[in-house]
Order: sequence, then structure tokens, then C-alpha cells
Amino acid sequence: MYVDRQGMKPKSAELLQGTLDLLVLKTLRQGALHGYGIAQKILLSSRQVLDVQQGSLYPALHRLERRGLVSSEWKESENGRMAKVYSLTAAGRKQLASELEEWKRYTDAIGWVLEA
Amino acid sequence: MRLPWNRQQDELEREVAYHLETMADALQAQGMSRADALREARRQFGGVEQVKEDCRAESRWAWLEQIRQDMRFSWRMMKKSPSISIAAIVSLGLGIGATTAIWSMADAVLWREMAVPAPEQMLQVLWESNGRLDGRIVDWTSGGGFRDGALDVGDFFSKAAIGAMQERSAGKLELAAHLYPDAVSVNWNGNVATTRLRPVAENFFDVLRLQAALGRTFDKGSREWQVVVSHAFFQRHLGARPDAVGKTIRVNNLPYVLAGVLPSSFLGLAAGDETAMYCRIEQSPGFVRPDSWHRPRAEDPRGWWLQAIARRNPTVPLSEAKAALDTAFAGTWVAKPAAGQTPRIRLSDARTGLGAPRREMGNPTRILLVLVGMVLLVACANIANLLLARGAQREKEVALRVSMGCDPARLMRQFLTESFVMAMAGGFLSLGVAMVVSRMLVTLLPPSVNPDSLQVNLSAATLLVTAAITALTAMLFGLYPAWRATRVNAGPALKEGTGSAGTSSRARWLPAKVLVLTQVAIGVLLVTAAIVYTSHLREITSRDAGFERAHALLFDLRPGELGFDGERLANFYRSVEQRLRAVPGVTAVGVSRIRPMRGGGFHEEIAKPGAAARVNSAIHHANAGFLDALGVPLLAGRAFTVEDVQNSRRVVIVSEQLARDLKLGQPLGARVRAMNEEWEVIGVARNARYSRLTETRPVAYMPMPLDLRAATVLVRSSASPTAFIGAIREAVRSVSADVPLVDLFTMEQQIARTLQRERMFAWLCGSFGVLALVLCVVGIYGLMSHMTARRTAEVGIRLALGASRMDVTRQVIGEGMRLAGAGLLLGIPIAMYMASAAQKMRILPEGPMPYWTLVAATAVLVVSALAAVVGPAVRASSVDPMRALRES
Repeated sequence: MYVDRQGMKPKSAELLQGTLDLLVLKTLRQGALHGYGIAQKILLSSRQVLDVQQGSLYPALHRLERRGLVSSEWKESENGRMAKVYSLTAAGRKQLASELEEWKRYTDAIGWVLEA
Repeated sequence: MRLPWNRQQDELEREVAYHLETMADALQAQGMSRADALREARRQFGGVEQVKEDCRAESRWAWLEQIRQDMRFSWRMMKKSPSISIAAIVSLGLGIGATTAIWSMADAVLWREMAVPAPEQMLQVLWESNGRLDGRIVDWTSGGGFRDGALDVGDFFSKAAIGAMQERSAGKLELAAHLYPDAVSVNWNGNVATTRLRPVAENFFDVLRLQAALGRTFDKGSREWQVVVSHAFFQRHLGARPDAVGKTIRVNNLPYVLAGVLPSSFLGLAAGDETAMYCRIEQSPGFVRPDSWHRPRAEDPRGWWLQAIARRNPTVPLSEAKAALDTAFAGTWVAKPAAGQTPRIRLSDARTGLGAPRREMGNPTRILLVLVGMVLLVACANIANLLLARGAQREKEVALRVSMGCDPARLMRQFLTESFVMAMAGGFLSLGVAMVVSRMLVTLLPPSVNPDSLQVNLSAATLLVTAAITALTAMLFGLYPAWRATRVNAGPALKEGTGSAGTSSRARWLPAKVLVLTQVAIGVLLVTAAIVYTSHLREITSRDAGFERAHALLFDLRPGELGFDGERLANFYRSVEQRLRAVPGVTAVGVSRIRPMRGGGFHEEIAKPGAAARVNSAIHHANAGFLDALGVPLLAGRAFTVEDVQNSRRVVIVSEQLARDLKLGQPLGARVRAMNEEWEVIGVARNARYSRLTETRPVAYMPMPLDLRAATVLVRSSASPTAFIGAIREAVRSVSADVPLVDLFTMEQQIARTLQRERMFAWLCGSFGVLALVLCVVGIYGLMSHMTARRTAEVGIRLALGASRMDVTRQVIGEGMRLAGAGLLLGIPIAMYMASAAQKMRILPEGPMPYWTLVAATAVLVVSALAAVVGPAVRASSVDPMRALRES
């Protein structure tokens, strides 16, 4: 139903199932951010390749919060509005470290197979 | 109130809004119009509602949210079939509420332990003997007793026996003497109250291991006159002021020092003990007053007048302690009793207090428990049936949901929630029911028991247990339809609709039918009980009292407590009698020591001189006008004259029954022995009830002592006695303005007071009966209307094939009545068995089984069942065959 506007943007890649949590954790590692900020940052740091469906960020954030990996508070943002700002908890840091390792092993393995 | 999931909801809203607006700001900065920017932001964000939904699913409160949905849905479903819902909720409420109230009462009366340390060590010391006590070892007694099979059991001992038993059992048992509580007037700073005082030995509180909550118990070194009061008395009459301790309080116009206040948990020695005060026996008002019964003979080893409570040493076997008591007891007898009349010590467990009120209340409470258990059963059966019926109604809905992919677990949870909502509503209702019923139950207590001191509290534990039972029933039977639905093949169920009575119909209705059958059986039982007890009550109330019940008024005067004594008392009574007789319309004025129909009284042993056989007789110490005032006709001889009373002549009027029991032969002029004196029989009176309508006792009338400290005045008038109350008050005031009229009642009211227990019991049984009946009718109606609704198509076909509407009506009614009939067949033998059990427990008078009550109960149930099936039958017969067939 939506008009196709793909031409306006660089070609974007589908996100691999389950990697969104990892991306969010990694993004929050550099400091507290609100949802919109996280989305922008992922887009920027992926050089505009990974276009995270912006809405899908929120269920992920709530899930992470419930698991105690991130915490949130309401703060005034740069544009003067109140925004809910997420930051990484200690548990979140640990989780990130182990997931990064997991991811590295996974990509290495894929790489080996593809290059074999 | 802001609930956590609501807050979460708001936050989510704001969070998404922030995101969209910030993104729109950025887009606007790139040159888009605000409207376009917002639209684009939304597009990039994706489905906003979907995101919110996903977030909610991730929320910590997701399950609560779902429960809320389920509850809302349950509420809608309940509103859709209000009659079933209301019936189920009412069944739950009545079942849980009534059970809780009655159970709490039973707890207070039967099972609650005394609030003293280690109550399991407490013992009541009694004696038992085969037949009456030998006159050689006992001369006069004061106390209570009862018969246990062939044994006579008593609670009274001589002072010597108490001393010897204390000495002999040292180390094995601690023992303290006490007396029955007396009514006293208490004056505290000018505020007068009447209450009860129990005279006790100095070591009484040591044996109980009871410390005062305020002040102290008796001061061992001091000979000061001290009283210790209950916490309830302290609060109600002393204003809960701690500085009251150490002050003087006047009891029967004698000065005592308030030594201390007992802890609020201690309610007395017996269930419903009214005692508010304790003092030393030898300092008690009854003991020190000039006309004391006890003081002159307190040391007499043949005077048995002290009661005893003991605490055993748990390390010593009880048999050793008992042996020591037996030896000590026997050592104090002045003679060797005749063979077979030797009393032995009996130790009875007193962890729940002394026995009498429990003995009196125990059986009725047990019966009530059985009855209420049955009501609960009927209520549960009803709930089960109603829920099953509703489940069947919703088969189509459930099948639809299953076929659309509803998770069976989710479906189960939905049904569970519905049952839960219903159980909750019933639970709330039950709280109200429990409070009302327990308030009514307290009035069931014998008049001698003070409800305040019993502290019948609704126990939360009981409420929980009964609520759990009924809620579990609701859950179980609420869940059953869901469970069945998940196993049902959705296709046929959907197609079937309200249609055919399939081959499975017999099996399908079986559980419901069994439930209704059980209900009817229990219903017969309860209705029979209701009829039996209400007719029993009617019979008692209409019994011939032996005296004239109408046109009589009673009240008490207690001049002795105001310091009147000796000649002044005699003058007071004489003047009151004269002034009252002068009141126009008053035909007779009686004065007596004991109030007639009081539920207790004054009893003495009477014997022919020289004969061993004694008759325990009730005594009325009365003035010359008493028999006339009471309305008891003399059968022979004469009444007392004023001179008989003024000169305290040893003359007695005996009741027919006493004359017969004493085997007087020719009573007039005969001589009898009572209270160590010889009396001449001058008249024979018709048998008249003495203390209550349910008792027949021999009665002896004797001239009253002139110095009674308190007496009951009985005024007989020519017309309705209430019209004379003003004139009577005026007459008494003209003699002394200070003496109040206490407990002014008509004779009818007085009689009703002694029947309170019977009345309440009948009332309770009656309401249980009605309750069971209502539940049965609801059950039958529910099942039948449901069955006929499910068979509309079948009825349609029959009608189309030429069956008359009458046939259909007859068939439905027949089916319902067969069900009720089967229940009756089951219930009647049980009811007969229960009635004979009640007779054995002496809750019903012995005698031939009242078969007519069974007939009546059956008739009531048949009529009710008929009423319940007529509606569904008419509805079935008015089915339009065309429509029924089209819809199926």
C-alpha cells in the first residue's frame, strides 16, 4: 500500500533475526540515548546500510529493560522535549561482551565456510 | 488510583510521540511541510499500534493486562445469563457465610482453649459416685452436678477436703478452690453497675499462672480487701483509666481495693463466663454478710461447698496425682460411706475451661454443624450444576473459538477467570451473610451466658477454608466445559447448534441429574429438620405451665445491696406488698426469693423423717400472696397466712409431684425434713413449672425469710399488666425512692426468655430448610429449563408429527418429577435416621417418630419441584414447530 520510495535512499539490508538486541546494546555502550537517537546512530554507524524499522526498536528496548540489561529515565533532550533515555546497566555490559564474542565466532565461522 | 500498567501505557504513548515529533523536526528541517514530515515519520516508524501492542507484550505487566481482559469478558458473560450468575453467587454467599458463622460459634463454645499458659495442664476436679452421696458424709452442699450414665458427678468439696488434697498432691498437682460467681452491684465513683463476682482462693491466679495486665493479683502479705477485675469490665465501667488501680471500689456496698486488671485475652473459667471480678472467698460479699450460708459452716467437713481447678505437673503420671487426691479426699470424711456410695475423684480436662456451658451447648452446636455442612453441599451442587448448564449453553461459542485457533490453555484460563470472578462476588456476599448470621447465633446462647465474654469472632481461617471449598467447586465445574470443549470436534458442535438430542444426550445429562438428585435428598433432610424443630418449639411454647401466664408482671428489688438489713428489710417488703395491693386493678402480689421461669433456681433435698430416700426439689421461698399471684390452684389444704410468713413457721406446701415422689400418702399434716429442720405440710398445689417450660420438677413452697437481700415481686392484675406499670413504679417509689425496679417483664416475656435457645435453634433449622428448598428449586429449574432449551428441535419435530402440546408439557413435568421423586426416595430414609439420632442426643424429645413431618416435608418438596418445572414445561409446549425446525 505504501508508495515505493526506495529510490530516495541507499539500498538497505534486512536485519538478521535476533541481532537487533545486540545492536542496541552496542549503541548504548557509548552513552545513554533515547529511542530516536539509537535508531539514527545505528543508521549512521552502519553507513546507512542497516535501516532498522524504527518502530521495532521499542519492543526490543522494553524487552531489554525487563531483562534488566538497560535502565531508563525521563530527561530533557536537546530539543527541549522530555525524552525517555536508556542506558546500559552492569548486567547489560556483561551481556554485550558475551554476545559480541558469540557474534564474532559466528561471523568467523560463516567467513571460513564462505571462503573455503 | 494509578495502576502500574496504566502508567506504563502513558509512558509508551509519550515515548512514541517523542520519536515521531523529533523525526518530523528533522524532516521539516530538510524542507518538508509539517504535515508531510509527520506523515513520513509515521511511515518510517511502521505500524504505530502494532509497535505499541508488541511493547505491551514485552511488558512486565502483560499477564495482568490479560487477566483484566479476561475479567471484563467474564463480566460480560455473566451479564448475558444473569439468572444463572445471580443464583450461583447467592448460593456461594449463603453457603460460605452461614458455614463460617456457625463454625466460629462452635469454635468459641467447643474448642477454644483458656487463655492461660500451658492450658493443656488444666484440670477440673470433680467427684463421681454410684447413686446419691451418702447422707452420713455430706450434710449440706453448694455447687453443681450432672448425671453421667449411672454415675452422679459433682463439683463440690469441703474445705477440709480441699486442704488435704492440696497437701497430699503437692508436687504432682496444684489445686485452687473457687466458688460460682455471684451477682453483685458495683459502685465506682457513684456509677452503679451490676456484674458477677467469683470468689476464689488466694492461690487461684498462681495455679492459672495468670499475671495481671495492670497492677497485680492478690497481694499475699496483705489482709486488705482486694478485687481483681476483667479487662472488659475495666474498659466498660472503669473508663480504662490506669489510675483506677489502688482506688476503692464498692461491691454490694462494701469497700474493696482494686488490686489489678487481668489481661484482655482471659475470658474467664468457662465458655461464656460472665465473671468480671474476683476476690478472696473469705472476703467475698456473700461470705461476709450476716445471713451468709457458708460462713457459719465453712469449716464443717460435712459441708461441701467449694469448687476446685487444678494444674497437673506434666512430668508426673496423672494416675499418681489422682491416687493422691483420692486418698486425701477419703481421709476427710467423718464416717465411712455405705457400700456403693463411695465417691471417687474424677479429673476432667479443663483446657477449654470448666464444663457446664459446653455440656449445655455442645449437642446443638454439633447438629448445626452437620446441617450447615449439608447446606454447603447443596450450595456446591447448585454451583456445579449452574456452571455445567452454562457451559453447555456456550458449547457453540467455545467450538467457534477453538476452530479459529484459540489456544486451549488460554480458553481454560478464560473459563477459570469467569469462575473466579463469580467466586469472588460470592465471597464478598458471604462476608455480609456471616456477620448477620453470627450476630443472630449469639442470641442462641443460654440466658446465663454473657455473649461479650464468649467473644464469638468470625474467624478468618474458617472463612478462608469454606471459601476455598466453594471456590474450588466453582473452578472445577467452571473448567469442565472448557476441558470438554478442547476435546470436542468443533465441526459437529458448530453445526449442531441448539439442535438435536443426539445419542449422547443421556450420558450428557447424567452428572447434572445426579447432582439434582443429591440436592433433593439433602433438601428433604433439611426441610424435615426445619419442620420438626419449629413444631417442637410450638409444642413447648404452648405447654401448660401449670400457672396462669397472662396478666402477670415480674420485677426484682434489691434493697440489701443498698444497705437495708434486718427489720428494715422486713418492713420494706411488707410495705411494698401493701402499697401494691392498694393499686386499683391489682388482684394479687407475690414476693419470692427465686424469679419464676428464670432458667435456674434454688434446690434442696427433701425427705420423710427417718426415710433414706431423698427427693431433690425446687424451692420457692414466698410470701402469703405468691400462689395467688402466680395463679397456681391449691388442690388441698390452705395457703400461707401472713402470720405463717411473719413468724417464719416451719410449714410447707408441696406440689402434687413432690407429694407423690415423697410417697406421702395423705400429705396434709405430714412431716418432712429439709435443710435440717422439720416442716409440716399444710397444702398441696397443682404441678407448675419452676424454672423453664422444658423442665418438670417437684416444687416445695416455704415461707420466705424476711431479710432477703433481693427478691422478685410478682403482680397479678385484672387486665393487661402493661397498663399498670406506671402505678406499680409509683407504689414502689412511695416506699423507697432509691430502690430501682430491675428486669421488669410480663410473665409471657419471661417465659420467652427461657426459650430463647429453642427459638433460635428452630429459627436456624427453619432458615436452613428454606435455604435448602430455594437452592433445590433453583437447581431443578436450572436443569429443566436448560434441558428443554437444548431440545427445542426435538419438541418441534414431535409437534410437527402430531403430538399435542399437552403431551409435551406432561413429558417435561414427568421428567422433572421423576428426578425429584428419586431424590425423595433417597432422602427420606436418611431423614428418618437423623431424626432418631437427634432423639438419642436428647435434642428432640424421645417418643414415636413424627412421621407426619416426613409427609409434610415430602409434600413441600413435591410442590416446590412442581413449581420449578412448570415454567420450563410451558415454555417447551409453546414452541413453534416451524421456527424450531428452521433454526436447528
